[in-house]
Amino acid sequence: MTRPAYISATGQFLPGEPVDNDGMAAHLGAISEEGLRMGRLFLRRNRIRGRHYAMRPDGTTEWTLAKLGAKAVHDCLDRAGLDRKALTYLASATTQNDLMVPGFASGVQAEAGLPPLEIASLQSVCASGLMALKAAWREIGAGDHEAALAVGAEFSSRYFRPGFYRGTATLSEDGILPADAEFLRWTLSDGAAAALLEPKPAARGISLRIDWISLRSFADRFPPCMTGGGIRGDGAITPWSHAASIEEAARAGAFQLRQDVDVLARMLPVWVGEMMRLVDLGRIVPDAVDWFLCHYSAHNFREELIDLAVRAGCMIDEAKWFTNLYEKGNVGAASLFLLIDDLLRSGKVEPGQTILCAIPESGRCIMGYAQLTAVGPG
Amino acid sequence: MSADDVAFAQRGLAQAWIEFESGLATVPVIARLLAGRLRLEDYRALLLNIRQQVVEGSRWISRASSHLSQKHEELRSLFVRHAAAEHRDFLLLEQDFAAAGGDPALMRATPKNIGSEALSAWMYHAAGQPDPIGLLGAMFVIEGLGQRLALPWSEAISAQLSLPAEAVSFLRYHGENDDDHLAMFDEALRLAIAGRADAETIVRHARVTARLYRLQLEELDNV
Repeated sequence: MTRPAYISATGQFLPGEPVDNDGMAAHLGAISEEGLRMGRLFLRRNRIRGRHYAMRPDGTTEWTLAKLGAKAVHDCLDRAGLDRKALTYLASATTQNDLMVPGFASGVQAEAGLPPLEIASLQSVCASGLMALKAAWREIGAGDHEAALAVGAEFSSRYFRPGFYRGTATLSEDGILPADAEFLRWTLSDGAAAALLEPKPAARGISLRIDWISLRSFADRFPPCMTGGGIRGDGAITPWSHAASIEEAARAGAFQLRQDVDVLARMLPVWVGEMMRLVDLGRIVPDAVDWFLCHYSAHNFREELIDLAVRAGCMIDEAKWFTNLYEKGNVGAASLFLLIDDLLRSGKVEPGQTILCAIPESGRCIMGYAQLTAVGPG
Repeated sequence: MSADDVAFAQRGLAQAWIEFESGLATVPVIARLLAGRLRLEDYRALLLNIRQQVVEGSRWISRASSHLSQKHEELRSLFVRHAAAEHRDFLLLEQDFAAAGGDPALMRATPKNIGSEALSAWMYHAAGQPDPIGLLGAMFVIEGLGQRLALPWSEAISAQLSLPAEAVSFLRYHGENDDDHLAMFDEALRLAIAGRADAETIVRHARVTARLYRLQLEELDNV
């Protein structure tokens, strides 16, 4: 890296009015009484109270993922006071793009009305947001660009409508969805957020210098945990495209999002272990962290994370934890940017403070950490 | 006891475990298990090859307890109880081997594979040292297999080979009963660690044990 990079502005877009827990079933559509019971259990565990959906309760929408992403890009550029022509690099992050082909960044560029620029489409789950941030950071650092934007967006609610399950083998004979399919319906929601990176801090307000970003995948020892596009069975997952016909793939439930909750629980020690590695390397100094932005997908994981961290002397005082999970829900690839944006908007950050971001991904086990330092006007 | 040193050991052990899991995934038989392609003969080989080491387990813990001096009296009680609790576990392995179509007499007669020889030699060597608290690191690795992997492995083996529950009883037993061992282990670390050197010794023993355990699985049937 030849020069530092700063997050000089952030922005977000959450579609529609917040939907509370009582409104969820009406919005997504109930599949069975048993599903509603599971939903109440999952909500008690994740403690999410509000979220946003880009899909109307009747199953129609005016949104696409690209439009959601474009709104966040515009919000970010407006707040930066930067002309869109000045932007020369765009990295995008999402779990499932509107189209399988081409990449998401192309869609965001077109919807946001951005002139020709370099793009990178990063596809994973929650960690893709960190991948996009890292790509933008490296581009600025290398001196290839003067203004780079990273955007994360999700539109998961469209996959959760009852019509996406009916007539598939996923539903049991009495019409009940298994917990690994029902779980995500009560966990994920829609939205987009973005961060602008420049080689100098913004002229006003707080900017965040990126100190380091660490991201490691542990797919060597975990099976796929959160999947879409696969046909599950007998311990192996078959790609949807290997089915004899597209109808057969759909009937087998290939186009549904699934989450193996047992595998997810086994990832916690690996995620915290990665923090321990960074503590031993001297990169993370728990007592020196002023704000801990941990994207935990559910409240019950927070408690287990704390238990493991305390035992290993890596605990960051809970007074320093900042989360928007309970009000804004779990917005996957957008979560990192949403957390940073909300922290900056809270007005609580002061120059010199250290911010540690933690982004675990359950897809096939990724753990990412990033350290940022708040700086005043440049 | 120093809280910092105990935390240092916990971090080192957690990382040793993560490396161990990564290494295990590269062992052919485990890779097949994780990929959903285990064969019945793989499972039988696994049982056959770990049996001798499981027999030795309670023996090296007993030896270690006899080398703990008076300053570690509480720890010695833990070791003795642990050895007593596990000293007949290998009978479950024999039962599983028979239920999977193996001959228990063959199991009793088969010597250690060369990886098990190395693991066992290391364990007895470590257990024979004065105040061998480093063995807590070895226990962490072997207990970790029970706490973290035994249950998912037993389920995967049952599913892939259509075996009944009585053919995976050893793994199931450990998967379902080793939960409280973690709290016990935390207590043992607090009792054992008086400084940074103790913590480092425990982590080192965990790393060596993890490598030799993997060697045992890499050398299946190489007796």
